[in-house]
Amino acid sequence: MVSRILLADADAFYVAIARMVDPDGAGKAPLLIVGGTRESRGVVCSASYETRKFGVRSAMPISRALRLCPDAMCVPVPRGACSRMHREIRAVLDRFSPVVESASIDEWYMDLAGTEALYHNEPLSVTARRIRDAVAEATGLSVSIGGGTSKLVAKLAVERAKPKPGTGATGVHVVEPGQEAEFLATFALADLPLVGPKFQERLARLGMKTVRDVLPYDAATLSRWLGDREGEWLYERVRGIDRSEVESRGDAKSISRDETFAEDIKSDDELHHELLTLVTRAASDLRADGMTARTITVRIRDFDFRTRSASRTLPRGVIADRVIHGVAKGLLAKLRSSRRVPARLLGVALSSLAADPDADQLALFEAAASGEEETARDRALVRAVDKLRERFGAEGIAMGRTRNDE
Amino acid sequence: MRFTITREKLQEGLSAVTASIPAKTTLPVLANLLVETTERGIRLSGTDLDIAVSTEVIADVDSQGAITIPAKKLAEIARELPSAPVRVSATGEQRVTLECGKTRFRLLGLPKDEFPSFPSVRFSESWRVRSGDLQKLISHTAFAASTEESRPILNGVLWEMRPGHMRMVATNGHRLAKIELPLESVGAPSADLIVPPKALEQIRRLFAAEEDLEIARGDNHLGFRSPFTAVFTRLIEGPYPNYEQVIPRDNERVAVADRNALFQALKRMSIIASDQTHRIRLAFNAGMVKFSVQTPDLGEAQDELSVSYEGDPLEIGFNASYLLEILRYMPTDEVRMTFKAPERAATVEPMGWSDPAKYLCLVMPLRLVD
Repeated sequence: MVSRILLADADAFYVAIARMVDPDGAGKAPLLIVGGTRESRGVVCSASYETRKFGVRSAMPISRALRLCPDAMCVPVPRGACSRMHREIRAVLDRFSPVVESASIDEWYMDLAGTEALYHNEPLSVTARRIRDAVAEATGLSVSIGGGTSKLVAKLAVERAKPKPGTGATGVHVVEPGQEAEFLATFALADLPLVGPKFQERLARLGMKTVRDVLPYDAATLSRWLGDREGEWLYERVRGIDRSEVESRGDAKSISRDETFAEDIKSDDELHHELLTLVTRAASDLRADGMTARTITVRIRDFDFRTRSASRTLPRGVIADRVIHGVAKGLLAKLRSSRRVPARLLGVALSSLAADPDADQLALFEAAASGEEETARDRALVRAVDKLRERFGAEGIAMGRTRNDE
Repeated sequence: MRFTITREKLQEGLSAVTASIPAKTTLPVLANLLVETTERGIRLSGTDLDIAVSTEVIADVDSQGAITIPAKKLAEIARELPSAPVRVSATGEQRVTLECGKTRFRLLGLPKDEFPSFPSVRFSESWRVRSGDLQKLISHTAFAASTEESRPILNGVLWEMRPGHMRMVATNGHRLAKIELPLESVGAPSADLIVPPKALEQIRRLFAAEEDLEIARGDNHLGFRSPFTAVFTRLIEGPYPNYEQVIPRDNERVAVADRNALFQALKRMSIIASDQTHRIRLAFNAGMVKFSVQTPDLGEAQDELSVSYEGDPLEIGFNASYLLEILRYMPTDEVRMTFKAPERAATVEPMGWSDPAKYLCLVMPLRLVD
């Protein structure tokens, strides 16, 4: 069965929602940066098309963005509204496709393989357009849709679909089966996902800058030059071959939470305090998804933008804040002992996720909590806490040390 | 060293010992069997350092000695030999020759000094137990021990020796099996031993039911022996959880059911139960239990069975595989189940067992989510 993959990408998602929640402020500012206030030390999460002309890009520190575009209005990320709209868009997509994968807050892959008869054998681009209209009608947000026989082609096609001024694009771009190679040949290697600056340099040294430059070489030659893995990978990608499948929700790979601080944090105590907050949030998301995590990763970005991370994999999946926090604390201590400099960002990621088969199994012995072993008591405790949070909100109850007593 | 043995006796000795040889080992000598001559014949021994098994078989010994021989190869050779006397001789510490009719093998062994010595246990202060009684205890409890590494103590079976009775208990923290057998006397003082199920499985397999066993402990080991065979095992250390405390005493809802019919119904329901949780729902009413299972993305199933039931109606969830496992070991045609509430421990017992033993299983429910 040939894959019929679509990628729906919400157009200027954060900007659109910031305008939606504040129609009189952000809604009326053409120069808009979402990510934090003018004084904050966050990074640009998204910027309106108008500010992009000044060179403002996502992931750029807000302070730098403001030097490029001093008149821009800066607003914090409307997180609650963003996750709500993410779910609303997803709900529309679920009506059209049996398999929907949330690739990020504003991107969703769908695989419509097997739905041909359902849609009366209409071309995929026609279905895509109906999906686009349905999203706009239900949510008031606009999505662009790229399509093709692989996730790679869909990802590249969506860039061609975005209705940016002057491109003549209409919001949908579907590459017909058999046309992949021809389509790919119009791209530079830098446009391909996962071809970063370092890889680009290596390829440039071999005389390859565009997809067309790579096509004359067979897999064996590329493997000789780049090593087996990268060589084969590139050989397939430039031909539009990508075997990764669209994975629906249950297959989420990780759950992560991070925080960019308003001011760099120097003290270990304060970092540990932030860590507990992040763990509490990530672990609660984990449980809400009915999953357990075996791998715990702590990521820290130092004042000079150097990003470091450390992770540990446990013998079995866990869900309890106490256990996750215990491991995360050790990882943070390790990262701090190797480089104790002011930190601008701290993050916690939970991965190696699996469904939690013991979620509802009651235990005979309520063992006391100890070390990294998660006990029935730990599990019962966090579930009780989750119930309280459902009633009183996330702030209703917190672990003793996350409360700011000072 | 030189002896002659029948192929049958050699095979008998090997089948007792080879199960204790580890499939993979970093210590080469553990892949070998220790062969020693004795007054009655030869003694074969093998160990994986957790469990050691040794057995004596009759042979004609011409000259004394000892050597270690690769266990797997020796077993394969014994299987393929013609049915005729086997002459075994060792020259030096490492070479051994097997001759049987016109067949001749030469194997490289390892010096006997490399073979680990067996744990010392004080058989002078031993308990005496009939093998059949021990087998009964083992076969009704060992299945319930935990196989997960997170709580090593639950990987063992608790064996309590008391004046007047002995008892075995095993649990994985979710379900528990307990059996108690009255005894006139076991000889030595009371003791609590936590034994790996793998060792108990060897005991069950190696000793004939009517044999009397001597059982004794060393510092951290337990030894079992009959006139010809001995088994040694490492003991698991630590306090066993207080299981008495979790055995319910006031379960006033009681159901009596046909074991086989209940087993079949549970098996049918578990086809549709989740592979992860095996969650099924039981609803007890006067004279009846209704089974139901609902698994998202799969489907649902219902069944019902006549039972005698006393008490207020009850809906309770279980991991079907725990119930099935317990029923598999219930020795009677009818079983008695008791309950207190949907989130409290349930018990399962045999009904009308003519045996002097007392057998009880516990299982914790699964929370029902609606």
